[in-house]
Amino acid sequence: MKFGSSEKAKVIRGKVSSDTFFRVFSERADRIVCYGLLGLILLFILYPMVCIFIRSLMGEAGITFGHYAEVWGKYREYLFNSVAVGVSTAVLCTLISVCTALFIYTRNGKLKLFLLGVILVSMVAPPFVSSLAYIQLYGRRGWITYRLLGLSLNPYNAVGVVLMQSISFVPMNALFLLGLLARIDTSSLKAARDLGAGPSEVLRDIILPLLKPGIYVTLLLSFVRSLADFGTPVIIGGRFSTIASEIYLKIVGYSDLETASAMNMFLLVPSIAFFFLYRHLMEKTGMLSDSQRASSEPFSLGLSKCRLMGAAVAAAALLFFAVMILQYICIFASGFMKRRGHGYVFTMEYFEELMRYDLSTMTRSVIYALIVALVGTFFAILFAYFTEWRRLKGRSFFDCLVTIPYMIPGTCFGIGYILAFNHEPLKLTGTGIIVIANMIFKQLPTSTKLCTAAISQIPRAQEYAVRDLGGGRFSVLRDVILPGLRPAFFGSFSYNFSTAMTTAGAVIFLINPGKKLAVFKLFDAVYSGEYAVASLISMLIIVIVLVVEGLVYLLSLKGEKRNVS
Amino acid sequence: MYLEIKELSKSFGERKIVDRLSFTLEKGELMCILGSSGCGKTTTLNMIGGFLTADSGRIYLDGEDITDLPPEERPVATVFQSYALFPHMTVMENVTYGLKFKKIKKSEARERGLKYLRMTGMTEYADVSVQSLSGGQQQRVALSRALVTEPKLCLLDEPFSNLDASLRERLRFELKKLQRELGMTMLFVTHDQEEAMILSDRMAVMDSGVFVQCDEPRNIYKAPASDFVRDFLKPDRILFSEDGSIMKKISE
Repeated sequence: MKFGSSEKAKVIRGKVSSDTFFRVFSERADRIVCYGLLGLILLFILYPMVCIFIRSLMGEAGITFGHYAEVWGKYREYLFNSVAVGVSTAVLCTLISVCTALFIYTRNGKLKLFLLGVILVSMVAPPFVSSLAYIQLYGRRGWITYRLLGLSLNPYNAVGVVLMQSISFVPMNALFLLGLLARIDTSSLKAARDLGAGPSEVLRDIILPLLKPGIYVTLLLSFVRSLADFGTPVIIGGRFSTIASEIYLKIVGYSDLETASAMNMFLLVPSIAFFFLYRHLMEKTGMLSDSQRASSEPFSLGLSKCRLMGAAVAAAALLFFAVMILQYICIFASGFMKRRGHGYVFTMEYFEELMRYDLSTMTRSVIYALIVALVGTFFAILFAYFTEWRRLKGRSFFDCLVTIPYMIPGTCFGIGYILAFNHEPLKLTGTGIIVIANMIFKQLPTSTKLCTAAISQIPRAQEYAVRDLGGGRFSVLRDVILPGLRPAFFGSFSYNFSTAMTTAGAVIFLINPGKKLAVFKLFDAVYSGEYAVASLISMLIIVIVLVVEGLVYLLSLKGEKRNVS
Repeated sequence: MYLEIKELSKSFGERKIVDRLSFTLEKGELMCILGSSGCGKTTTLNMIGGFLTADSGRIYLDGEDITDLPPEERPVATVFQSYALFPHMTVMENVTYGLKFKKIKKSEARERGLKYLRMTGMTEYADVSVQSLSGGQQQRVALSRALVTEPKLCLLDEPFSNLDASLRERLRFELKKLQRELGMTMLFVTHDQEEAMILSDRMAVMDSGVFVQCDEPRNIYKAPASDFVRDFLKPDRILFSEDGSIMKKISE
């Protein structure tokens, strides 16, 4: 790695400035920070994965493929289940996501804001919320199936898993697709109309083809997420199991790390393969934003005039929003309503109970999430600074490495940490550090992406201007880069906080039973049928995240105002 | 009268963007609407193209009332400032896109596509992806794409403002030549007075939603109708050569 040495040649006149101070100590400090960061990335991303691989080959007498053979022999059925559920979820979820995104894209005004609001709330909702509502509405004693229709259906099966996974992945996918749609040059839509294409032809010939790479990305991400999801099959799979839910049981129930590692390799390998496919596809979505001249003035495309296709899109989207709204009504009702006689009455009983017993868990969650948000954002800024601004050698390798956790199933990332950090000199298992580190590095891909994008927007000439006017590298960092990173800081903070509050995947294997987090209380509550408590925890998490995000947003606005005036 | 605009109005909220605008255009004529940003020129174009609904007023083209037709049913084609090519299609696919809706056979569509690409000098790029083209080339393709449908009226919304000066100049002359050859009726929006001067058969100076003066460019420069036009064009400070291009700007 090469660092610029122009500083040495520079003559500083006058009194000792922070730049001089920084320059004298910086050469070394700079290196320590940089190598330290890269070291942490190797330690907390690469090393755990290597550990899984090694452990999966470890037998009583040296290297063996016995665990793989065992997994293939005994758990083949679950592998096929995983693939079947994954494919079904990917297709169903992508269909709904595309329809939802198109529907929102073609709305205007207040309705659009409302729909976006629903999507945003769903983004910060903890996992299992859909499952929780599903069981309460359609379960054996479900409000709709049992009390309304008098049926007693068994909701615990593969169909339920596919439905719930699809619904819970839609908000994120829809938001991603909306981002792509917003980048389409609206004058090319006008041009198509102008050349004789009606609204449905514009949809068919222009919008959908342009969205195609995005649709593939959505398929891919939904498939990988479904592969990695163990919570949904555990909660509503009933006797239906996938490889992820079996891994969960293997570790929580039997502590069988070798078999679990081998099973994880079956998830890890396709996930990493898909990761490279994903990167390739993401490059293709760049086609949309090719021209900076693109006009983005609103262009209303009447879905109602898109015949059958428009009707199908609107129907799917409306169904999705109806399900979402029903879900939140259900959660609210089960948290604050109590059955009395033949009706229901409002009650604070469950809430008070929750406050009495589980407040510490909630506090711990918030504290962890704040630490993750701050440290994670700090790492992301440093990483973006060194790779994007300073363009260190080997940046493409580290860039790739940092992005990998995005695609690694949570079970792998969790078990990797157990294997890597359960012995001296790095015995972290059972501490809060391992949980926080896991969250930070699992979320690093998105936070670095935000920061890198922001840094690449800063004109290089600003650095030259500062250097030209007599500032050193420290002044550049302080006066050019940090101000330029301001919006990315708030974005990354919000993202890290909300994800840390709601993530369940990797951390579940690392949590100390005495130091639970809110999400796991939620998981336990759903699993053991305490729906009122589960609903309240969900609501509380949603409210806390929304409040913090709101505060962050206000804070970011305040700075903006100062800039303008 | 080939194109007739009658009392056309459009407001956004309280703001009147276009205010009872009326004008006419003869067949084969090229008119430039010249004005600074926010004067209502693009809004006017959008209403004629069918992308915006007028609050009141009518638009007649070749004797037909097109005011209430959706854009795809108007015999009008637009060339956009951002080129607005379809990035996932080749040059030929872009150019022949409009012919699809005229039920023209593929082989014939290709013939016609080639014919119009030849006019803009883009034949050799027919099967290239539009993303690999430069700005000037993209705008040539966009022009072919608009003309191939043989529209009754061609609208151009600052088509050259994203190009550098020398290219802009070349394309202006090529456009003027093409327009004469085809006898195409064109409405050209710009904020560049030299461009308007070179291209226009007639030129309209627009401000606050109305035409403050509409005449042959020479007449406007000779006799500005109001102080606004004089301030806007500064005719006493510019010398034009025979073809309309600026020969000299006299600074203060």
